[in-house]
Amino acid sequence: MAELLGTFEQSVLLSIFGLRGEAYGRAILNHVQKLLQRDVSAGAVYATLERLEARGLVSSRLAEGSPARGGRARRYYTVAGEGERALSETQRALTSIWKDVQLPIQEGL
Amino acid sequence: MKMPAHEPPRWAERILERLLPARARQVVVGDLREEYVEAMLPRRGKLRADMWYIQQVASFVPQFNQERGPMGMILSFVSWFTLASTCWLAVMEMLLRHAGYELRASMACGFAIICLATILVRMLRMGKRAERWLWVGAAVLIGFGGEAFVHNARADHFEGFVFVISLALMLQGALMLMTLGWPTPGNERWLRQAGQSQ
Repeated sequence: MAELLGTFEQSVLLSIFGLRGEAYGRAILNHVQKLLQRDVSAGAVYATLERLEARGLVSSRLAEGSPARGGRARRYYTVAGEGERALSETQRALTSIWKDVQLPIQEGL
Repeated sequence: MKMPAHEPPRWAERILERLLPARARQVVVGDLREEYVEAMLPRRGKLRADMWYIQQVASFVPQFNQERGPMGMILSFVSWFTLASTCWLAVMEMLLRHAGYELRASMACGFAIICLATILVRMLRMGKRAERWLWVGAAVLIGFGGEAFVHNARADHFEGFVFVISLALMLQGALMLMTLGWPTPGNERWLRQAGQSQ
């Protein structure tokens, strides 16, 4: 079984899914903040994107930039097949771990 | 030259450009500028938008340190420690004014400048030319640190703070020498990727 994804990695991957073809750095940053309901630093998001791309879980392409960004290019991300598999495995593992747990946690579990 | 009011602080943007590897530079700077102009500035106003931008720039520092490998991280930590201790030493010398304090305070300031230069040269990727001066700085730190260490060990009255600072100076110098001659795989990887994608 592949290594399970951390919460932040899951949020970034799910944001890329949720943004449907419009997933570039700024949009992902805002979407992750919405998902986690807290402020997130750009450094953390870009470091995660770099790590996910190095692991082959996402792929990216460059596109032209708008005047608001001084003409600087945008990098759009898509979740690769490997990324979808990793998300499914993580979801399965988490569901299985939590299956028999009732909150508040009872003693002797 | 006055900076246009609708742009993020130019100095912070320059630091960000220096912190980022070639592959990510344009993309990340563009993303943050877009967020600043279109969301932060209208919603929060100039001062709070600038604070947000500076906070985002700072969030790339840990990533930069990781990229330099474990040696880079240790050097960064020791540089900040030595910078703080030499500044403290200079201030104490100026306050206490024992005999010969001018020379000792000047030396402490000199060491602090070397530490600050080390941090800036590494952080702002000033290149090989600037790094050459760090070799000289490292030799100065090891020389003076070693001299202070031996002098203190032989003295009748052992000074704990001289012991700590002389050790920090020698350690900093040794780390500087090691990192200057040490390859940085993270950076080379980034440069290779930049060559492939551009």
